[in-house]
Amino acid sequence: MSEPIVAVQELSKTYGSRRGTVVALDHVSFAIQRGEVVGLLGPNGAGKSTAIKCLCTLVRPTGGRVTIAGFDALTHPRRALEKIAAVLEGNRNIYWRLSPRENLEFFSGLQGIPTRRVRPYIDELIDLFDLGAKARVSARMLSRGMQQKLAVACSLVKQTEILLLDEPTLGLDVETSHELRQALKDMARRGERTVLLSTHDMNVVQDVCDRVIIINEGRVVTDDRVANLLSLFRARAYRFRLEERLPDPVRRTLEARFELLHVRHTDHTTEFEVELLRTEGLYDLMDILRAGGCVVESIDRQDPDLEEIFLTIVRRQR
Amino acid sequence: MRTLVMLKAMFKRYAIELRRYAFNTLSMLVSFYLVFLMVFWGARTFVGGSAQFGDTLAGIIVGFTVFYLTIYAYAELSWVLVQEAQQGTLEQLSMSPLGFGRVLLARIFAALAFRVGIMVVLLVAMMATTGRWLSFDLPTVIPLLVLTVASAQGLGFLMGGLAIVFKQIQAALGILQFLFFALIAAPVDTFPAVKYLPLAWGTDLLGRAMIDGTSLLGLPAADVALLVGNATVYFGGGFAVFKLFERVARNRGLLGHY
Repeated sequence: MSEPIVAVQELSKTYGSRRGTVVALDHVSFAIQRGEVVGLLGPNGAGKSTAIKCLCTLVRPTGGRVTIAGFDALTHPRRALEKIAAVLEGNRNIYWRLSPRENLEFFSGLQGIPTRRVRPYIDELIDLFDLGAKARVSARMLSRGMQQKLAVACSLVKQTEILLLDEPTLGLDVETSHELRQALKDMARRGERTVLLSTHDMNVVQDVCDRVIIINEGRVVTDDRVANLLSLFRARAYRFRLEERLPDPVRRTLEARFELLHVRHTDHTTEFEVELLRTEGLYDLMDILRAGGCVVESIDRQDPDLEEIFLTIVRRQR
Repeated sequence: MRTLVMLKAMFKRYAIELRRYAFNTLSMLVSFYLVFLMVFWGARTFVGGSAQFGDTLAGIIVGFTVFYLTIYAYAELSWVLVQEAQQGTLEQLSMSPLGFGRVLLARIFAALAFRVGIMVVLLVAMMATTGRWLSFDLPTVIPLLVLTVASAQGLGFLMGGLAIVFKQIQAALGILQFLFFALIAAPVDTFPAVKYLPLAWGTDLLGRAMIDGTSLLGLPAADVALLVGNATVYFGGGFAVFKLFERVARNRGLLGHY
C-alpha cells in the first residue's frame, strides 16, 4: 500500500482549566489513503472536531504527530496547509456581505490562485452546487442550505488534495442535505479528493464514505470499511417476534447474556432485536426462550443501518 | 507572486465591503469631520484672535489627520479579528498556506491604503473649512504618516492578540484611544521622553513637514532615523506579541471561537 496522504499517530489533546483537565483526544491513530472518503463518527464531545482542527493546524496537539502528504503539520504547517481545505462550521465559513462568486474568488485568492486561472472552475462549482441563480446576490440573502453549499464550494475552489468537512449537513433540511450529499458523492466518485468528514448524519456516511472511523471519549473505537461493518452486523443481528409478552425473568436472563436492542411490546406480542456475537448463540437464545415457555412466531435476520451499528459500538464502550 | 495574488484579493474584498457598507463609511467620515468642527470652534473661542491661533489650528489639523489614521490602524485589526471570529471566517484566514501573519498584514495594508485615500478627503475638508492650507508634499507626508501610524499598528497587533485569546477587549480598546489622543497632542519640546513612545515623535515630524513645509530630505537624518526605529520597535514588538497570542490560541483551541 502506498504512503497515506494523512497519517495521524498517537494524537492527544488535553485542555486545561482551573476546574481541571479535559482529555479531548487520547492517543488517536489512523491513516487515510489518497482518494479515500472517510467518515468520522462519534457522539457529542467525542473529539471529532478537535481531531479535524488538529489536522488543519488550528489546534496544537498536546502529543502525537500529524503528517499531511509527508509533511509534519506541527513543524511545517504551511506545507501541510497547501494540501488541506476545510469547512468547519456549516454556513459560517463564508463572507455574508459578498456574493457567492465574490466569495469563491476571494478564497481562491487567499490560497494564492489568480482569479483568471480559476474562473472556469468557479463556473463549474456554481453549476455543481446549483448556485447559478444567486451567484451575484449577497450570501446573507441565501438560504441556510445554499450558504452551506457555498461554504463547501469555497473549500473546493482552493483546489487542495484533501478536504476536511466538519458536520457539512448539520441543520439542513432533508432536500438540501440530499443535494449536498449528491454533490459530495459526485465528487467522491470522480476520486478528485481525499475527504475526511465528521457528521452525526449516518445517511451521509452510508451514502458517501468508503470507510468509517468511530471515535468515542477521545479514542478510536472502530476503523473499518462501511461495507465490512454493515455485513458484519448483518450476520449478527436478528429480530424475534413472540406470540406473547416477554416475561420479565426471561428478559432479564436474555439481557444478562445478549445485546438486546429495541424491545417492543404490544398487548399480546413482543418484538426484539438481538446482536449475536457467535452463530451458536442463536441456539442458546432459543433454549432460554423455550425454557421460559415463550412461543417464537418468527425470526428474521436484520439489515442494520449504520446508526444501529454506531449505537451498538458506542454503547459497548460505556 | 502568490502573496501579490492574495493582496489583490484582500484589496478587492475590502473595496467591495466599503461599497456595501457605504453608509457606515460615510457616517464615520462625517462624524469625524463634525468632531473636528467642534474642536475647531472651541479652539477659536478660547485662543481665537491671538497670534498663535494659526499655529494651533495647523497643529489641530495635523493632529486630527494622524488621529484618524491611528484610530483605524490601531482598532481595526481587533475589530476585524473579532468580526471574522464571529462570522466563522477567522479560521479560514488562519489556514491560508501563505501564513496567517502575512494574510493579516495584507488586510492591514489594504485598509491603510483606503484609509489614506479617505484621510486626504477629510484633510482637504478640514483645510477648506478653516482656510488654513498646509503643505502636502506626498513624498514627504506619506512616508512620515505610514511610519507614525506603524507604531500604533504595533499596539493594534498587541490588542489583536488579546482579542483572539480573550475576545471581549472593547473596554481596553476604548481607554487606549484616549492615550493616543494624549500622545498625539504631547509637546515633544517640553517632554522629550515622549518621543520614544508611539505617535508623539511622528506627529512632531509631520507638523514640521506640513506646517513649516520641510521636506523629508530637509529633516535631520537622526530625527528620521529615530522615527524609523520607533516604528520598527513598536510594530515588530506588537507583531511578535501577536504571534505569541496566536500560539496560545492554537494551544487552547480558541482560534475562531467567539
